[in-house]
Amino acid sequence: MESQLLTLSFILLVLVVATNLARLWHPHIFLSKISSLLLYLALLSLVSTLGFRIMGANRVPFANMYEFTIIFVCMVLLVALFIRTSHPSPLFDLAVALLLTVLLSVASSLPSELRPLMPALQSNWLHAHVATAVIAYACFALAFCLGFLYLLQANLPAADLMSIDEKIYKLVVLGFTLLTLVIITGAIWAEEVWGNWWSWDPKETWSLITWTVYAAYLHARRTREWKGRKSAWLVVTGFIVVLFTLFGVSILLPGLHSYV
Amino acid sequence: MVKAKKEKPSYIAWLSSMRFALNLLIGIGVITALGTLVPQGQDPIFYLDHYGEMLGQIIVALSMHKFYQAWWFQLLIGILCFTLLICAYQRLRKAATIKSAGSLLFHLAIAVILVGAAWSLGYAHSAAVEISVGDKISLSPHGFKDGELTLASFNIDYYPDFQPRQYTSDLSLTHYDGRDYQQLVYVNNPLRAGNLKIYQSSWGWIMNLKDVSQAVPQTIKIKNHGKYQLDDTKMVVLGAVFLPDYAEDNKRVFSRTPLPNNPHIGLTLYQAGRLIDAAIIAPGQEAELGAYRFVFEGFTYYSGLQLKYDPGVNLVFLGFGLLLLGLMARYWQLIFPGKGG
Repeated sequence: MESQLLTLSFILLVLVVATNLARLWHPHIFLSKISSLLLYLALLSLVSTLGFRIMGANRVPFANMYEFTIIFVCMVLLVALFIRTSHPSPLFDLAVALLLTVLLSVASSLPSELRPLMPALQSNWLHAHVATAVIAYACFALAFCLGFLYLLQANLPAADLMSIDEKIYKLVVLGFTLLTLVIITGAIWAEEVWGNWWSWDPKETWSLITWTVYAAYLHARRTREWKGRKSAWLVVTGFIVVLFTLFGVSILLPGLHSYV
Repeated sequence: MVKAKKEKPSYIAWLSSMRFALNLLIGIGVITALGTLVPQGQDPIFYLDHYGEMLGQIIVALSMHKFYQAWWFQLLIGILCFTLLICAYQRLRKAATIKSAGSLLFHLAIAVILVGAAWSLGYAHSAAVEISVGDKISLSPHGFKDGELTLASFNIDYYPDFQPRQYTSDLSLTHYDGRDYQQLVYVNNPLRAGNLKIYQSSWGWIMNLKDVSQAVPQTIKIKNHGKYQLDDTKMVVLGAVFLPDYAEDNKRVFSRTPLPNNPHIGLTLYQAGRLIDAAIIAPGQEAELGAYRFVFEGFTYYSGLQLKYDPGVNLVFLGFGLLLLGLMARYWQLIFPGKGG
């Protein structure tokens, strides 16, 4: 049932892509409503997928990259639905749906067998660490979508561009705060489990690099007036680093996080 | 007459500029990323083999094989810490609002974390020990000031498919800094004794054999998959494999489960690296291998423990707390508009 629901979510998101391509060609309120409906249905389907996973595993689905990716997709969709209430743009829906279809494709290629928690993962720090990571990375994903939109829609009125820029800034601030918490909870947990709060493991090193990129964004924005296009490019770059931290490191640079 | 304002030395101004801090942060980020591309902590020969003579020598010469311990990397971190402190000092004079106080606290917190890390680097000490059930070891030979460690029991809890759920050591630490401690230590639950922590890190089986071929029978303790030198001059080595739930079919011998339901020991005798004899026996049984005779007396678990004395980690954790406080103060109003701050 879980895999069927995941396929259904994928199909719904592909339909969102198609609907919004049609919206770009022929803007109509009906298509906008269809897009909303499909996005809500996709969220429902993804939440149900997670529900089946939780029932099957009898634990929170925080144990591997497959589970993390599904929750990540859910969170991006949830925050996107919140953002689109004040930013009803076909390009935004399109960017979010495209990103999520790619992420779901990645998820479907990851090992998904149900495994019990290994001893190192049996800690309350797991919940704090993964939950904050999901929200932080969802903020960066949506900042990326909005950044992309900003770069594509240079001809929008200045007030609209400023509004997008402000949303990106707020998302990065929230994401950065949570990423700080991700790194801190990870470090405290590592001290509890391995006796080493920092060991330059590739995953933690790349989390720090991600943190540095967004810290640079915040500094550049404040002290060098990097707003608009420059900062949009920085959040697009930042999310590429996030994706490498999430997937690239797990595949290419094995370390203490190899089990994910 | 206007009094001339005292100029800051130019290099201090340069070091304390936001432009320098930003470039340094990005530079450290890039260098750190490069560090993840080179496998860390291998012997120099590994890099010569895998990267070729020239590149391998460059990696070793620049300490890129121990990137994060290299002097130049730590110098960069030291400069970052210095820059943060100067920036923080400059903000101290302007910290009139909660936002700017938050920003000040955030930057100070990073410096606190780095100082804590440096303290750990200089004064932390760790050691790995293996202790059999019922044994007692002294900590002083492992570089700790005093204390004795006793393992009362060790247990592995399994899931139904025999994947390990948890490893638990019943440990007593006595006469450490004038105090005694007793605790069940398991993964994610170390024993804490002041700045000393004891972690569950590994485990294994250890077997007792009696060499009855000697005039005075001698007891040999040998670990699972371990080797024991019986005769140095003739290069005779005994190898042992533990089969806790022994079974066999036409092709092989194996253990059905990791539980000691049908314990057996597989013994192999080597001379100058060549296998000369082998046997499988149960507890109480005797095996004759070459000129030797062994009795399998019994078996037990040993627990692998990581001991770590680290006075700097509390400062690091204090830094974490300050970092979060600083962030919340800096951005509270933005994240939660209209809710104070």
